[in-house]
Amino acid sequence: MMSLATQGMVLFADAHPMVEKITHLHAEIVLFIATVVVMVLGLSHNAGMRRLCGGVSVVALIVAGVLGAMTPDMAHMPMPGMSGFLKVVIAAVGVLLVLLIEGTVDRAYENTVRKTGVFDGLRSTRGEFYAFMLFSLTGLMLTTGADDLIWLFLALELTSLPTYVMVSISTSRARGQEAGVKYFFLGAMGAAMFLYGFALLYGASGTTVLFAPAGEVSIASVFASNGLGAMGMLGLVMAIIGVSFKIAAVPMHFYTADVYEGAASSVSAFLAFVPKLAGFAALILLLSTVGWTHGELHDSLPDAVRIVLWVMAAMTMTVGNVLAILQKSVKRMLAYSSIAHSGYMLVGLIAGPGNGGLLAGNGLAAVLFYMLCYGFMNLGAFGVLASLERAGMGGESEEAETFADIRGLCATNPLLGWTMVLCALSLLGFPPLLGFFGKLFLFTSAISAGEILLVVVMGINSAIAAFYYLRLVIASFIDEPTAESRAFGVTAFGSRVAASAISAASVVVLVLAASWLMGKTGDAVAPSPTQQVDLTAVDGIHATIAPGGAEE
Amino acid sequence: MFESMPALLGAGSADVLPTTVGPGWLWLVPILALAGCVACGLCLAMRVRTKAPAWIVVGLLGIAFVLTFMGYSGWDSASAQVVKVFEWIGLSWGDSAGQSLSFNFGFYMDGLSWLWMLFVTGLGTLIALYASEYMQGDKGYARFFAGFALFVFSMACLVMADNLVLLYLGWEGVGLCSYLLIGYFYKKPSAVAAAKKAFIVNRIGDLGLALGLFLTFVTFGTVQYDELFALIDQGVAGDMARTPLSEMWQTWAIPLLLMVGAFGKSAQLPLYVWLPDAMEGPTPVSALIHAATMVTAGVYLVARFFPLFAFEGVPHYALWTVGWVGALTALFSSTIAMAQFDIKRIMAYSTISQLGYMFAGLGVLSTVGAASHVFTHAFFKALLFLACGAVMHGFAGQLDLRKLSGLWSVPGWRIVCVTMLIGCMNLAGVPLITAGYWSKDMIMAEAFVTPGGQIIGWILLLTAGLTAYYTFRVFFRVFVGPVSFEPGDEHHDDEHGHDNGHGGGGGFHPHAPGWAVNTVLAVLALSSFAAIGLYFTDKPNGGFVGNLVGDSTAGYVTPYGHHGADDGHDDAHAAAEGDVRFVLVADPPAHASGDATGGDHGADGTPDAAHASSGGLILGMDPHKAMYYISAVVGLIGILIAAVLHGPLGMGGLGLGTRTEAARSKADELLPALGPVARWAQHKWYVDEFYDFLLRTPLRVLSHVFHAIDKLLVDGLVNGLGLLPRAMGSALRPSQSGVLQGYAAGMAGGLVLLLVIVLIFM
Repeated sequence: MMSLATQGMVLFADAHPMVEKITHLHAEIVLFIATVVVMVLGLSHNAGMRRLCGGVSVVALIVAGVLGAMTPDMAHMPMPGMSGFLKVVIAAVGVLLVLLIEGTVDRAYENTVRKTGVFDGLRSTRGEFYAFMLFSLTGLMLTTGADDLIWLFLALELTSLPTYVMVSISTSRARGQEAGVKYFFLGAMGAAMFLYGFALLYGASGTTVLFAPAGEVSIASVFASNGLGAMGMLGLVMAIIGVSFKIAAVPMHFYTADVYEGAASSVSAFLAFVPKLAGFAALILLLSTVGWTHGELHDSLPDAVRIVLWVMAAMTMTVGNVLAILQKSVKRMLAYSSIAHSGYMLVGLIAGPGNGGLLAGNGLAAVLFYMLCYGFMNLGAFGVLASLERAGMGGESEEAETFADIRGLCATNPLLGWTMVLCALSLLGFPPLLGFFGKLFLFTSAISAGEILLVVVMGINSAIAAFYYLRLVIASFIDEPTAESRAFGVTAFGSRVAASAISAASVVVLVLAASWLMGKTGDAVAPSPTQQVDLTAVDGIHATIAPGGAEE
Repeated sequence: MFESMPALLGAGSADVLPTTVGPGWLWLVPILALAGCVACGLCLAMRVRTKAPAWIVVGLLGIAFVLTFMGYSGWDSASAQVVKVFEWIGLSWGDSAGQSLSFNFGFYMDGLSWLWMLFVTGLGTLIALYASEYMQGDKGYARFFAGFALFVFSMACLVMADNLVLLYLGWEGVGLCSYLLIGYFYKKPSAVAAAKKAFIVNRIGDLGLALGLFLTFVTFGTVQYDELFALIDQGVAGDMARTPLSEMWQTWAIPLLLMVGAFGKSAQLPLYVWLPDAMEGPTPVSALIHAATMVTAGVYLVARFFPLFAFEGVPHYALWTVGWVGALTALFSSTIAMAQFDIKRIMAYSTISQLGYMFAGLGVLSTVGAASHVFTHAFFKALLFLACGAVMHGFAGQLDLRKLSGLWSVPGWRIVCVTMLIGCMNLAGVPLITAGYWSKDMIMAEAFVTPGGQIIGWILLLTAGLTAYYTFRVFFRVFVGPVSFEPGDEHHDDEHGHDNGHGGGGGFHPHAPGWAVNTVLAVLALSSFAAIGLYFTDKPNGGFVGNLVGDSTAGYVTPYGHHGADDGHDDAHAAAEGDVRFVLVADPPAHASGDATGGDHGADGTPDAAHASSGGLILGMDPHKAMYYISAVVGLIGILIAAVLHGPLGMGGLGLGTRTEAARSKADELLPALGPVARWAQHKWYVDEFYDFLLRTPLRVLSHVFHAIDKLLVDGLVNGLGLLPRAMGSALRPSQSGVLQGYAAGMAGGLVLLLVIVLIFM
């Protein structure tokens, strides 16, 4: 009986790829369950139960992170370890985001409930808000492990759709609604573009499977054997451009500033990380179908794709940076700078895994590493804004937004002030903070890939970025506090301050582990053994990455 | 001079010890100091106003000292212990040799490291204890001890490092702490200026060290000591071809660069100018950092790399320079010390002078002499500084020897006076009973037997006389004679309520030192005697220090060690006779076996060459023997002159002195006879002014010129360029109109443009 059952399960596991797939989805399943739980908790008549939403989310993310770390490698993927690694990153940054998001919705309504004692589930948005946030994170985790076009599309949309709602309900002001609507329409347009691209990819290859075990048909295998063809190329480029909406790259960047500005700072922080990571994961997967095996040295993307990405990268950094200079609002400035950072990371995508065998030359590892750095330093900067409040019109509190609002912050609130200074310096890439190492690896990978001109563009852009990031430093550190900036006090939600401070601390402390982290990202993008057989040109990457990739 | 030095030494004669794995807990030593720094930082943050920071630091450094001592006791002297804490840097950019840079955060513990660590942690503990009282009531109490502990951490990194990069980290760390602590009274402009001066002058030296480090890496392909010294031992570079070092210019260039670093840190000519000004820092800092430990880092560096400095077969430019610069520094700064009135400054110049002795010792191939002098000097100079500090503390910052007199008869000052006397005797080299005498003479004796070193020897001998004079000038003026003192102008704003009236002088009561200061002074005074005992423990090998140095990379068998060494029994014979004669290591048994080629200097006929070139005998005696008499006499003459010129009237019934008031002495009458020389010496030979003229003024002019150019051209260009992104931004701004349709059109347009690009390139 016993043996039969075991045998049956083994057979079952062998027979059903679905079951095998589920072994990779434990983290997502946990998050999904938590989503349902918080949705119900948020509707509870008991205020204490309602407050549990945040705690449950944090616990779920921690569990998901642990499960994510234990995710078995997906052998048929081009980078079997990427999904597991990114799930841990998502969970880690996710926990900080949950801390930061505390108190974003329902503040006025909770006060009313406290006064009147009547709770109306229809008027409360707390449950939805946390549920949507977890949905989005679930979608993000699903994106990292997508091996099918349809899966990828659904996962990307699962990441994005909840954010449209989150933007709208994050503030009660009209600007939030406007931002939400804009974001939704433009997002839909972006989705239409990449969906069209996906359709063309399907048309060119006859399958929706992106990657499959050796011997089975997949888009990657079709492209490897038959080449891209006009339709495939068009499809790929359409998909890339469409997905660029998620990372806010030129020409899909228009929405960024309006949406980030309209949303509450905590949600802006969320937007700057979650969809962006989804976009980059999707881009890495899409580009892996053609692989970095073209060009003279068999180490770059097909020319047309490379040039498209090149133009996008150069334009994205430049447009982001020059527009950031002009901003008076810190939020808009951070929004434009978030565009610029996407531009930097696109450079890593162009560089690809490299074939020099050096970890420092691995652009994909550099992208993942930069994403991790960016997650912390960006969250810290937005977190400071989210932590500063003043009583606004109509009894509603207003968050800090402009440079004038944070003048002399180091004097009035040293913790937040220094958080801002550290995060701004790190965003600028000031050594020896984390952002510096992120940028350094992107630079080295681009140099290894021979993209010297792009490196020059990136260098000039970094210099431009110094201008506006230093304004943040000057405003908070050098400028004297004014009556206007003194009007801002620390928010009642201590978890926001904690999230910002932890981010700032990470920017400093993780530097010590930079080499180890970089090694981890190197492992995450190491090609699978089966791929290595196929791609003779890049053979040896795995072997050579390991020694450089820090000692484990 | 040394270029012509005959190639006497087999490649193995500078010992390279085999390495073994040392105790892993050794990392606790620096970490305890670092923990002290962190704890004090916390105290600072929490505004602790008690003495807690001092007790934390004293306790932790005490434990660090005990651990160091335990580690030393457990060290088997036949090997260098290597302790790897973690791999610090591991980079590679290719597969062939020299294409990787990897080293550990780890320690290399041989005799040299142990010697330094023992006195760094030991003196660190004692001086922290002293400072607990000295710094009492100061607002920056916690800040002071944080810097102090950080210094010990950095110094431990410097000394214990098993690679040049960690040494460099420690080197910069001690420089930083020195800067922070000199500028401790940051509201005082002179302190800030002194801190900056120290930092900037040290940069020059540090540049040399950094370049030396780079060149070492380029030449040997490693910065890790065990690998480095193994390569030097084999006499080959680290490249694939294993080029012999004797054919490479780097072999003499690296020591020259390292030497520059050593000159900066150890305040030698011409980079010594920062050290006198460094006395602006609190006295415990002067004692620990600017007398006993940090400034000897240069000596440590040269001793550590002695196998390279004395590498056979290449010109010894660096060694030659080290010897001469050391000797000249010794003489030069002692002439300045003779003419100063600030007792702390005098001690500072004497430190420079004594450091000069150490470098001269290295230059004449006596690493043992140099290290011995470092060791004894650490104790007696710390003692002297702390005694001066006690005076300064008690007399409200008064340091002018014209305004202080007769402390011997002031109640509560007896311990300070006695310990000061012991310190002065050590510095002056009073024969037989002081450690300073033995260690100084080791260097001078070696100078006279090393070919070309005689002039260095004479300079050092003259300096010994001057040293004795200026040392006892201080003692006779300040500590004995008629009681008379004027308080300084530093008011204690703390609990010393009884000091409040001291502005007018009449109502001033000196604030006698408490138990912590007295205890530390007494312990240091006793230690300086104990150092003699250590010297006699194994005299033929140079004593305790000689043994330690022999078991390190600095262990060097000088071919001129004993005159007439053709007679193999000579040293044993002399030692048996109890003759007061210095015999440098011929071949300590421990090394003889591993040292087949270098073991028989006596047989290869070269000592004859040494004999021929060493200038023969002095006063019909072997220079080693003669030196002990001569230097004793010179020292005593110096003291005698000081007694005659500055001694109080009727001193000891000898009728030597004539001084009856604090401000004047017989020396003042003689000054006019010297003409302007005395004034020049008093103005430190106008070196600072000369540097101002030679370097600062031109640099200032140049900087103004550059500033103007910068303002007009560069700023103009940059501002112009800066407008470009702004202009671009303004141009792009309309695209961010906020209109949804506009955005959608933009996205669609962008898509089309990119697709066109694809179509072109596909």
